[in-house]
Amino acid sequence: MLAVALALVSCNNDKVEVYRIPKEGIKVAMQNGPEGLTPARGNPAHWTKPGGWKEQPLSEMRLGSFKVDGSSAASADVSVIAFPGEAGGLISNINRWRGQLQLAPLNEDQLAQTTQRTEVDNVPTYLVDFQTAENDPKPSRILGAVLQAANRTWFVKMTGPPDLIESQRQTFLEFVKSFRFTSPPGTESSAPAVSTKPKSTNDE
Amino acid sequence: MTSELSRWFKPLTSLKLTICCLACAMVLVFIGTLDQVHIGVYEAENRYFKSLFLFFTLPGTQFRIPWFPGGYIVGTLLLTNLIAAHVARFKLSWKKAGILLLHSGLILLLVGQLFADIFIDLESQMRLDQGQTKNYSESLYHDELAIIDTSGADADQVISLPESRLYRGSRIELPVDSLEVVIQEYYPNAALVSPTQLPSPSYPHLPIGPMAVAVQMEKTYKENERNQPAATVSILQNGNPIGSWSVAAGFPRPLSFQAAGKNFQIVLRPKRFYKPFAIQLLQFRHDRYAGTDIAKNFSSRIKLTDPAKHEDRESLIFMNNPLRYRGYTFFQAGFDNDDTTTILQVAQNPSWLVPYISCALIVLGMLLQFGMHLFSFVKRRVIA
Repeated sequence: MLAVALALVSCNNDKVEVYRIPKEGIKVAMQNGPEGLTPARGNPAHWTKPGGWKEQPLSEMRLGSFKVDGSSAASADVSVIAFPGEAGGLISNINRWRGQLQLAPLNEDQLAQTTQRTEVDNVPTYLVDFQTAENDPKPSRILGAVLQAANRTWFVKMTGPPDLIESQRQTFLEFVKSFRFTSPPGTESSAPAVSTKPKSTNDE
Repeated sequence: MTSELSRWFKPLTSLKLTICCLACAMVLVFIGTLDQVHIGVYEAENRYFKSLFLFFTLPGTQFRIPWFPGGYIVGTLLLTNLIAAHVARFKLSWKKAGILLLHSGLILLLVGQLFADIFIDLESQMRLDQGQTKNYSESLYHDELAIIDTSGADADQVISLPESRLYRGSRIELPVDSLEVVIQEYYPNAALVSPTQLPSPSYPHLPIGPMAVAVQMEKTYKENERNQPAATVSILQNGNPIGSWSVAAGFPRPLSFQAAGKNFQIVLRPKRFYKPFAIQLLQFRHDRYAGTDIAKNFSSRIKLTDPAKHEDRESLIFMNNPLRYRGYTFFQAGFDNDDTTTILQVAQNPSWLVPYISCALIVLGMLLQFGMHLFSFVKRRVIA
């Protein structure tokens, strides 16, 4: 009996289980995709889509995705992403955008000089405008906004050819200003990846 | 009984063994209680009571030396000793009825607890956002590497690899399509940080995505924290590599790959326990006493759907009023996200009645035993 009990104890935790479940339709993240962390979906913002922008299918990361067609075949891409907390900090995210244009990273002082600070719906907002170096064979420009809401950081980014971005600059700023962070009750979707510790009903 | 058998059997019936086991149990309880301060209740339970041995790890090595019997050995020996003693000295008489009852209660308690420990994953949690429906609960402590075949038209096949098989160098053959999993690297606890936060680019890390890398952390034993493992996993088919992926429990979104003409997903996540029914959170309420922040009531209004049993009804779960369904009990345990997420504790214990029956038997046995002593004592005094 001792042997049986010991054998049961030792093998029970090591089993590989195989079972079938009804389809769930989980969205799949690509490891080499554009972003890496889970976006925070607990507190979606609301915005007004400018006329002329076409909605694109949302991905696992994107809470908003738009295509802006230019006069020729050129087009610009607009993405809205949110992460819990500070999402690694302002400077590292802005330098990440600069890295996408092969630009050198900025230090804190340079950051303060190149960033325009404003407020959208009482939320501190930082606007940046970067363009590839003049001799770059593939000129590209990024208009970006980082909105530091209460417990989420929102990233709004427009990428595309410099001329097209210039013509869309005002529209982009109006789009950023249209953000509102109050969420109607009952519209929450999946849980954020990083949240404050859940409270136990024994705590109080 | 032959002399050979009795030579082996006799020591098992010895009272010295009983005393020895009880002494070991006392030592276990004593050091387990002291160590619980450092490693938490759950880890102390596993290390001292749900274990075969207590181990001492030689400093600087992975070499573990057993130095004391754990709870399973002590409990099983005690049980064997008790049963053997009864078999050896069994006499059916009224005088022994109390002792028989008492000891059968004790045996039932030990056997019931051992089986509950081995076969039942007792507790898990179901975390539901308002409006969300789930047909699974998740383990509070354990994770799994799930490999999911999503090729089926209306069902997915899940292959769940337990945490205990995940360690660097582990090779696990999957029971489908000649697939094999090789764990290239495993961090039992990891933090996800931005790549720019690494002290140096060569600092050991697992690339989870362009915005996040996993770095190894000390295992945590705190009550309000959970270990979040990360791993780099290679999949092989017939010995040929298909690909390698880094996964982290802190980022439990499945990654996809193809093998044998099928679509698979791989994800490291809290271990899931699927149920044959689904629960949707309609509303969570956190009522407070007027004018104060003092909690008055927590409640979750849920909808239970079970097509097989034609069940489709609403139910209100609140403190001390759990939902009991199909052997599961759902308790109101916590809340999150500004009172829009509920956390239900899910307990499943088919043997929940066993401790009650055991205790009733023990009490009855003691009453009978001591009652008979008292009765004969009083009778002697009256005669005298």
